[in-house]
Amino acid sequence: MKSDLKKLDELSRREFVASAAKACLGVGLLPMAGSYIHTPAQAFQPGPRPAKARHLIYLYMSAGMSHMDTFAPNTDADKDSYQGPVSPIPTSADGVFLSENLPETAKHMHNAAIIRTMMTSQGAHMQGTYLMHTSYQMRGTISHPTFGSWVAKMSGPINSTIPMNIAINGRIGSSGFLESKYGPLPIGNPNAGLANSKAADYLDQTRFDGRLAMAQKMNASFLGTYDQKQVRAYTDLYNDAVKLMKSEDLKAFDVASEPDAMKDLYGRTAFGQGCLLARRLVENKVRYIEVNRGGWDTHSNNFESVANNCADLDKGLSALLLDLEMRGLLQDTMIVLVSEFGRTPRINGGNGRDHWPYGFSAFLAGGGVKGGTVYGKMDKVGRNPVDGKFIDPASLNATIGYNMGLPLSDVQYSPSGRPFKVAHDGEPLLDVLNT
Amino acid sequence: MGLSRYIFLFVCLLKASALFAEEPFRTFTAVGGQSFTARVLSYEGQTFYLEGKDGKLYPVPYAQLSTNDQIYLRKISQEAKIPIGDPRKLASRENTVDDATITTDSTVSEELIEQPVDGPRLKAPPKKKPKLRPGSFFAYKPVNLGQDPNLAVEMKSGGGAPKPGEPIDFTNHVLPILEDRCFSCHQEPYDKNGRTIQPKAGLALNTYELVMKGNLDATVVTAGDVEDSYLHEVLTLDEDDDMFMPPKGGPLTPEQIDIIKRWIEEGAKPKAGGGGVADASGGISFHDHIFPILEERCLDCHGEPYVKNGRTIHPKAGLALDTYEAVLKGNLDGEIIDRGEHEESTLYVVITLDPDDSELMPPKGDPLTEEEIELIKNWIDEGAKEYPSDIFERPKEEKVAVSLTTPADNKIPLVDLLGKRLSKPSKTQIDVASKTGALVTTLSEKHSMIRAEFSSGPSLIDNKAVGALSGIQNNISHLDLSRTQVNDSVMGNVKKMKHLTWLGLRNTEVSNQGIKQLKDLQFLRYLNLSGTKVSDGAIKDLSQMKDIEEIYLWNSEVTDKGIESLQKALPDAKIVF
Repeated sequence: MKSDLKKLDELSRREFVASAAKACLGVGLLPMAGSYIHTPAQAFQPGPRPAKARHLIYLYMSAGMSHMDTFAPNTDADKDSYQGPVSPIPTSADGVFLSENLPETAKHMHNAAIIRTMMTSQGAHMQGTYLMHTSYQMRGTISHPTFGSWVAKMSGPINSTIPMNIAINGRIGSSGFLESKYGPLPIGNPNAGLANSKAADYLDQTRFDGRLAMAQKMNASFLGTYDQKQVRAYTDLYNDAVKLMKSEDLKAFDVASEPDAMKDLYGRTAFGQGCLLARRLVENKVRYIEVNRGGWDTHSNNFESVANNCADLDKGLSALLLDLEMRGLLQDTMIVLVSEFGRTPRINGGNGRDHWPYGFSAFLAGGGVKGGTVYGKMDKVGRNPVDGKFIDPASLNATIGYNMGLPLSDVQYSPSGRPFKVAHDGEPLLDVLNT
Repeated sequence: MGLSRYIFLFVCLLKASALFAEEPFRTFTAVGGQSFTARVLSYEGQTFYLEGKDGKLYPVPYAQLSTNDQIYLRKISQEAKIPIGDPRKLASRENTVDDATITTDSTVSEELIEQPVDGPRLKAPPKKKPKLRPGSFFAYKPVNLGQDPNLAVEMKSGGGAPKPGEPIDFTNHVLPILEDRCFSCHQEPYDKNGRTIQPKAGLALNTYELVMKGNLDATVVTAGDVEDSYLHEVLTLDEDDDMFMPPKGGPLTPEQIDIIKRWIEEGAKPKAGGGGVADASGGISFHDHIFPILEERCLDCHGEPYVKNGRTIHPKAGLALDTYEAVLKGNLDGEIIDRGEHEESTLYVVITLDPDDSELMPPKGDPLTEEEIELIKNWIDEGAKEYPSDIFERPKEEKVAVSLTTPADNKIPLVDLLGKRLSKPSKTQIDVASKTGALVTTLSEKHSMIRAEFSSGPSLIDNKAVGALSGIQNNISHLDLSRTQVNDSVMGNVKKMKHLTWLGLRNTEVSNQGIKQLKDLQFLRYLNLSGTKVSDGAIKDLSQMKDIEEIYLWNSEVTDKGIESLQKALPDAKIVF
């Protein structure tokens, strides 16, 4: 709150009122939630292509997941190739192999596709993450919207109470030059639910109503003098904030209400519970949910760290795929798992792998994805594709956007009048989709 | 004084009415919903001048009027029924030029002159083409081996103007226009200063194939249909429009636009004169002989649904004739072709009716010529082949016939098939349906099928809320009642949605009794019963759904034994439990 007030001269009037509401009414909604919730539900206008997937769960493996020890094990038993001690295992899709670190995920491969020739132009974490999320390179002069923000903006809300772009376990990027209501709503800890969405304990219903009435009384004369849409919007903001606080949709964020067996199925880790929360949000028709999992920067001791990370990843991911399938939600939901880059095929002196932007993997599953497909194959040293072409982050995002029915050629202008597109100049890779 | 003023106005009105018939009074609706009665006097740019019943003049921006009003205004302005310009100005112009001597009332003329008068709208100057000195090196065009050098010179100098009556050729006539005015932005990716320059909007226009391909969102040319061709539309928009093309250098000349229009009308072919009635000696085929007739005489009404003036126009009688499959499929009333039996074929019957018969097709213009009718008759009798090489075998007929109930080997998704046969529900109907909390969305811009779901606060939704959907029940193909309070009695409403393909009842109170009522939903393909009270007692009813593709029974009360017998009854269905 203090930091918000310090920046007061930068705040718009609306944000000021939101801050004032927090201070006066004890309505501790997230600073940005106010701008979400007064958007009325609009029917999404269908585009020229029907959407194969309505929801996207984006599992982001932060810090560079070693692709050779997870989704792209080297199956050529060749002494020139760098594989290390991890061996490939067969999966539910004929001829597709995953690393032995992912035994449960392997059972769902018939619903999933892997792109094994991903390539990024950025070899550093921050720049790579930015490029992967926005399709644009980092620039000093502009902040690009994340893909989730584009999804929220272009596909419209299905649920009028909950924001359509939610980031679990830490938020990456922002809505950029798009309206801030499309930016990711961060959930720091999946078990804690939506922070600051409850009235303070000391504030019982009578006192709460009293404060609201007093605020309205104070506003009344101003509203009488300036009865305009913009002015009335401030009153709506209070009403909508109260609506979300009392809304039963708020229960979507309450992972604690899941049965223990379900929590155990997903694994009692931040990632596992994040996946569980993601499934609850899909049930509540949120468009875009990102679950973040770090810990992949394995410059040393790669094999032990990756195996540990995978135990968690495998449990959460396979539980998510299974649970969505059982509930009949998988055909409407696309799941994407990707990292900013891969790691070197060559093993370094510290038994680790370093940054490697060539031929890493993207895992896609669910609605609209051509199950059991592998696109591309890298050469022995993992430097160039021997089958397929390099796929850049923009093209991965274009593929996802295509599957979700987003208008890829639609141009949005930044405040300075520069044109931007949802997936930059990416071309969708139709080989991995059911078209 | 007052009287002379009225006389003057009367004279002006008379003069105006001599040139332009007066438009009748009608009700206009503003975007905000207010409506008022007025008639149109004239327009200027984006502003229309309306006269109210009280005689007052209202300049109204075009954008503030409802779609219907916009259509009306576009129509009358295109038909030149109303003059251009501020009516006060028009009156004063007539006044000063013709009737200057008649006007004696100085106050009137002052009043009129004082009105703000907009100057003529400024147009961007057309882009200057560098003029080449005759004999300049650059004025020469390299001639490919085997090409007529005279033709090449003609193309260079004449800008590819076709001679009157000559069919439009893409390479000689259309491409030079695109090259001159569109390539600077819509060219295949090329390298400039080490950067790859991508075509704007992902649309390249370098070759015939690229023009026909369009961009990722849609095609820009529909052969034979100028209205549906975005390429033509953007050239003819108002210059103030954001999408007006080209954005720089002024509009194309009317001749250039006409060339593009004619090219599309002639079928947007890669080479001139590709059409015409083909030789029928090798047998009559849909592709070579029948489609050109349909294209010219039937597709205006029986084409693909398209958007015109912001509204989607569906084929009349739900009958599309734009593809071979569509012709064979017919409409909800049945098939229109009985292979080998022209007298049994509705298509043949309706074109050979008595000229006075209201059912005669086409309803406008001359009836089909005798040769055309003969061609269609012989085509049906020969087995209604798509290509000349197809072989018609009578016994196979049953299998080839497309029917709604067996879409398994049909490429068109079931929902699209159903949607093409239904009319679109009105906005009011959708508003009524949404009143109880349902989110109602159309599934595709191509047709009118609807998804209804209760996304926000589902646990407050009960059987009654579903009743509100009855106004659009025929259009609902996807219904999601997951996690709502509904129970078996909701099925009375659900079973009336006869085009339902997707039904979500997850985590509701629905039980075996409700499942019994689903048996008439012949198009149901997806049924989600996970978390319901459905038990083995429903297996018998579920087993009757022979066309179902997916059933979800996880967390229901069905036992492994029940699943086993259900899977046996429905071996092709995906059953998740």
